[in-house]
Amino acid sequence: MQRTFAVVTDSTSDLPAEWRERYGIEVVPLKVLFGKETFRDGVDMTSDQFFTRLAASSSLPTTSAPSPGEFAEVYRRLAKDHDGCISIHIGARLSATAEAARVGAEAVEGFKVNVIDSQSVSMPMAFLCRVAAECASLEEATAAVELRVPKCRVLALLDTLRYLEMGGRLNRAQAMIGTMLDVKPLLLVSEDAEIKPVERVRTRSRAIPRMVEFFRSEQPVEHVAVMHAQAADEATSIAAELRKELPDLEIPVGQIGCVLGTHTGPKALGLIYIKK
Amino acid sequence: MVAALKATGVDGQLFKRALLGSLSWLAANHEEVNRLNVFPVPDGDTGTNMLLTLQSAVEDVKESNAAEVSKIAKLASHGSLMGARGNSGVILSQIFRGFARAVEGKGSLTPAELAAGFEEAANAAYRAVNKPTEGTILTVAREAGRAAATAASNPDATVPRVIAAAAAGARAAVLKTPSQLQILRDAGVVDAGGFGLQLILEGMLKSVEESEPALAALNESRLPVVAASQVALALPEGGWGYCTEFLIEGNNLDTDLIRGQIESLGNSVLVVGEPELVKVHVHTDDPTSVINLANGYGKLLKLSVGDMSTQHRRIIQGEGAPEAERGAGGARPARPNGAGLVAVVAGRGLVDIFRGLGVDAIIEGGQTMNPSTQDMLTAIESVPYEEVILLPNNGNVIPAAKQVVGLTKKKVHVIETHSVPQGVSAVVAFRPERSGDENMRAMKAEAERVQTIEVTHAVRDTRSNGVKVKKGDVIGLINDKLEIAGDDYSEVVNKALGKLGPDSFELVTVYRGEQASDDELKRLESAIRSSYPGLEVEVQHGGQQHYPFILSVE
Repeated sequence: MQRTFAVVTDSTSDLPAEWRERYGIEVVPLKVLFGKETFRDGVDMTSDQFFTRLAASSSLPTTSAPSPGEFAEVYRRLAKDHDGCISIHIGARLSATAEAARVGAEAVEGFKVNVIDSQSVSMPMAFLCRVAAECASLEEATAAVELRVPKCRVLALLDTLRYLEMGGRLNRAQAMIGTMLDVKPLLLVSEDAEIKPVERVRTRSRAIPRMVEFFRSEQPVEHVAVMHAQAADEATSIAAELRKELPDLEIPVGQIGCVLGTHTGPKALGLIYIKK
Repeated sequence: MVAALKATGVDGQLFKRALLGSLSWLAANHEEVNRLNVFPVPDGDTGTNMLLTLQSAVEDVKESNAAEVSKIAKLASHGSLMGARGNSGVILSQIFRGFARAVEGKGSLTPAELAAGFEEAANAAYRAVNKPTEGTILTVAREAGRAAATAASNPDATVPRVIAAAAAGARAAVLKTPSQLQILRDAGVVDAGGFGLQLILEGMLKSVEESEPALAALNESRLPVVAASQVALALPEGGWGYCTEFLIEGNNLDTDLIRGQIESLGNSVLVVGEPELVKVHVHTDDPTSVINLANGYGKLLKLSVGDMSTQHRRIIQGEGAPEAERGAGGARPARPNGAGLVAVVAGRGLVDIFRGLGVDAIIEGGQTMNPSTQDMLTAIESVPYEEVILLPNNGNVIPAAKQVVGLTKKKVHVIETHSVPQGVSAVVAFRPERSGDENMRAMKAEAERVQTIEVTHAVRDTRSNGVKVKKGDVIGLINDKLEIAGDDYSEVVNKALGKLGPDSFELVTVYRGEQASDDELKRLESAIRSSYPGLEVEVQHGGQQHYPFILSVE
């Protein structure tokens, strides 16, 4: 049966290119700004290019959400050969993207757009897109996605808190993370895109097993991915270890995009999953 | 001379005089005890610790007119327990405790009973120590007790003769300590704690021999109890009110009953003591009501009311306590079911680091100024948690910290952290939502994993752990053991890292002390980086005294 509704997400979903092809998912890019130069996430700049530039840049880049007009343009185009659309976006607590999508959708009359605040970030959105794409109707897709939204988790190990803090996404005092000492925080992004520390660890080699250990305590899960920022080897070995334990799951490995990379900095690792 | 020699028994007032005599004699000679430090590091000095413990033992005794020796002994036992500092201070408190038990219910002691008291005091001290070591204060206490018993068995035994025998027995035992302990032999000294006990007994002897005990010198020689014990806490919005402290002298005082009533009038309540003398400490907005209540129980002594807000403002000034700490409601727990964290820390940078990591109360002290059991107890009582994890962060503080357990209704866990790096690792592993037991396990495991290198200058010539050092040498301690002596910091640190085997570690955190210059820090950093390129180096301002550098290796 041919799917009649469209599936849209934004570039922070880290949607694998292959899924994008296979399921026909539309990706609206956020933007990353180095000084006066603006790049569309994943369009004008790849992750690798981004991290190379980040390492060479003296000041930190900033990010911005797509405008409602950009969303409206996409919806208008999709309206030509679809009878509706599910648009799945980064948690509204972290970005204005979902709000821009909502405003953009209102501008396109006669086209039904169900904007979903994923309350998460990165691959959980990609999994939600895939779930939606495999549904027969927009209603079914919306229900299936909404059911999973509260179960999305991102377990992130940052190499430094500097980037997250600069981006204003974390309050150290609330997070019980020392203001003085360089602590590698293991953070969990759960419902409502709330970021909370799971563990504080001082060295990376200790932090990675902790991350995996915490993930084990979160079973059962239905989708898992390992994401990284310039840490492909570590991500690959984590995925290989998990595949042994969870043989039924695919466990893709991928690199996060430019916009997320702005807030995590290099050497970040993430275990991404949707709880059953 | 006349009165004392005639005395055939030791009553309360005679024992009080003897204790005051001990205090004055130890005060006059404690520096000599300090110089017997075996370890060539600037450390919590034995003489100072014993003197402060004894001062605390005598504190409440001075106010009491009790005629019964048992009452005075009990007050001394309690006071020494609260004031116990350092290892020898804690053992001294156990000696007083044993003595108090032995003389329980007695109004006056015969020479034989006094000797039995000394023997039981030594036994109690042995029992209190996990692995008793000969050649220490324990041996000296036992030999003093034996000599006293021998003297008491003589038909013309008198109290002064029994005390004289105990003091002589102690002196002989002290002289023998180097033959019992290798470390004393190597350092060429006698045991400091044992010598301290000898001085205490000699002081007793002087006071019962002299007609007027030489108490005049007492106040001048009294050690100032410096700020080893300031509890740094965030300021609640309503202020702290008044820190109100006094003693109640009365009969059959019920500490639990009094505590219950005082608790309704304030927080950080501490009510401890004996049926005849109770110490009260409370932070209250209404000191008048507290005083009126206490007046109903007996006579109030040593009343002091201090404005806590001014004190605390001074402590936290300019330190930018995190907003979360100051949240509305002040001292209400931020973690309703969790445990509080209390740490002993010295050095402004380290205090900030511990506070930044979420420690609720900090007792300033450590290396050379060991906080007392009472200091730690006060800090524990001041945090709004029924369960508290206490981090001593120094080997010399651990004994007094362990005494706190059982002195409060709160459940206290002591994690035996011997160093700042161990303390930091433990705190980093703390998770607010976990129970005390779970946190305890995780924190202990982390503390045991980290390696500590401490760098300082030798305070005396000695040989220790097979390393020969000269006064002023740069010395490196690995996990509390002297391992390296050299001429400069970089050389000693690099050797220490080499001994630890840097391949098994990834991160070195350097806590820079007050004495280290920018230049020395730079040289140390680049020395580590060039010798061990695989190690990540992080520099933090510790601000600790005496140790130019403390390194955490993990």
